[in-house]
Amino acid sequence: MAELLKVEHLKKYFATPAGQLHAVDDVSFVINKGETLGVVGESGCGKSTLGRVVLKLLDLTDGRIVFEDRDITSISEKDSIALRKEMQIIFQDPYSSLNPRLCVSELIGDPLIVYKMYNKDGRQKRVYELMDLVGLARRFAFSYPHELDGGRRQRIGVARALALSPKFIVCDEPVSALDVSIQAQILNLLQDLQAQQNLTYIFVTHDLSVVKHISTDILVMYLGVMAEKCESKELFRKPYHPYTKGLLSAIPVPNIDHVKRPVELLGELTSPIEPKDECRFLARCKYATDVCRQGAPTYQEVEPNHFVTCHNVREINNL
Amino acid sequence: MSLLEIKGLTIHYETRESVISAVNGLDLSIDESKTLGLVGETGAGKTTTALGVMRLVPDPPGKILGGEILFEGKDLLKATDNEIRKIRGNDISMIFQDPMTALNPIIRIGDQIAEVIQLHGNCSKTEAMVRSLKMLETVGIQPERSIEYPHQFSGGMKQRVVIAMALACSPKLLIADEPTTALDVTIQAQVLELMNELKQQNKTSMLLITHDLGIVAETCDEVAIMYAGEIVEYGSLAQIFRNALHPYTIGLFGSIPSLDKDVDRLNPIQGLMPDPADLPEGCKFHERCNFIDEKCETGELETVEVEPGHFVRCLRVAKGEI
Repeated sequence: MAELLKVEHLKKYFATPAGQLHAVDDVSFVINKGETLGVVGESGCGKSTLGRVVLKLLDLTDGRIVFEDRDITSISEKDSIALRKEMQIIFQDPYSSLNPRLCVSELIGDPLIVYKMYNKDGRQKRVYELMDLVGLARRFAFSYPHELDGGRRQRIGVARALALSPKFIVCDEPVSALDVSIQAQILNLLQDLQAQQNLTYIFVTHDLSVVKHISTDILVMYLGVMAEKCESKELFRKPYHPYTKGLLSAIPVPNIDHVKRPVELLGELTSPIEPKDECRFLARCKYATDVCRQGAPTYQEVEPNHFVTCHNVREINNL
Repeated sequence: MSLLEIKGLTIHYETRESVISAVNGLDLSIDESKTLGLVGETGAGKTTTALGVMRLVPDPPGKILGGEILFEGKDLLKATDNEIRKIRGNDISMIFQDPMTALNPIIRIGDQIAEVIQLHGNCSKTEAMVRSLKMLETVGIQPERSIEYPHQFSGGMKQRVVIAMALACSPKLLIADEPTTALDVTIQAQVLELMNELKQQNKTSMLLITHDLGIVAETCDEVAIMYAGEIVEYGSLAQIFRNALHPYTIGLFGSIPSLDKDVDRLNPIQGLMPDPADLPEGCKFHERCNFIDEKCETGELETVEVEPGHFVRCLRVAKGEI
């Protein structure tokens, strides 16, 4: 399948008074057209930053981004504005990502005005089209965001992202703020749109069951680094990285026949500021040995298309 | 005998424009050292129910219009302010959803815990402090940190402080309102385990409010599903998870992406929760229900016991049609 987006050794550091904060540290991946890459991790692991850097909403520190065979790492401001037509984002919080003083029709039509597409009538027609597409009744066209509930607001967010017919969308926790029954409606919508328009997604979330449901491949991040990456179902069948194992054991399963595993992950995320040259997961890992203290592990392919960043991955999993 | 029994509890919020029916004739009971999970979506009335038990519903606009809340046989709704103040924090205590706002930012955490103990424990300040340090140790925080302020703790640690505070006087009933919603999964697992351990040690009963059926499966003995201010289904863990009967409960289970099975498409419940200021007649769920018949729109609903201990509030289930 055709490659749509390729990211190589991407790094994003933020300067803080205490030193460099390594938000994203050496992340590489490829996404094919029409597929979804799920990015999971705890708060502060750099997953949202990754999404924003890929869209060039944040400047990167180092690395390379290739979109449709075109290197967009250091394109000009003007070119990056043109690029936004192809790459869009859906934000987490449908409450704060919409301007409260614009009505639904203005909110959805806004991207069309920015890019000077259609005349006034054509724009209104396109807005209605988009509203139909995301399942937002036309009677809400002149309602304001505060009059709508979270699910409908998130549909506005989806419609806005789709307005310019992009090829690629970063979904940054689009369902985290929603109730389960509404969450399921939005997930179905995103899947339907992907099938209809051959969209490509990066789906950032902390919810493993959601990411399993929607993704082709999954990237597990821990403190800015890639811990594990493989095909979605494979990750749940054969988690190799100790962090992934711990993460999976921590999810409460809504099934009373499910045998509860003991808590595997103790402690909390350590600081991402000026990390030492050792495995970032060291402090929480129960398999840690001396090797782990002597240097950061490399990202290696342990099985075809299954990548893990861990010194002892073969010993732990008897590979 | 059950520790807590709620009968016909009705709570409305009355504003100038409208009357919001948050809780409508709710019945519940919790036995000693048992955990009841109260499950529902935003706006179902879960938190209002909890606040009702604690007599903390803000008035105005909140009004407890009727019903009984029997705690060890005594009606809390008839208790005087003084009596209820003695019960709160001592016999019944509460863990709030957001540990960031539940703590006072300008008081050291050791002092915050000691305050509860001193208030209810009839003891000196020094003794309260000693017990406060012990509580911190119980929840896995080094006692040396008692002189620190809330902002110096992470979210998971703050929730541990809140738990220490809630359990400081060994309450008989603990109300936990979404205690782990604001936390990451790995931290959530640690906090849930801690709560379970302490609950078993002290034989505390718990009312656990949550929207996560996974947490319910792991921690509860009984489950009540709440929708638009009513309990629509109530039963033991096995009855609800193996034999859910109410269309809303079935819809909830269909909405969760599963980790065990591979499902291509989710089966969400259509539509949205009705506006609590303008609830539909008849069954409150009928607008979203797949099994609707005419009587659902107008008929009087009753809660029916379909098998011992398993209650359902649905006309069609009552008639044996579903």
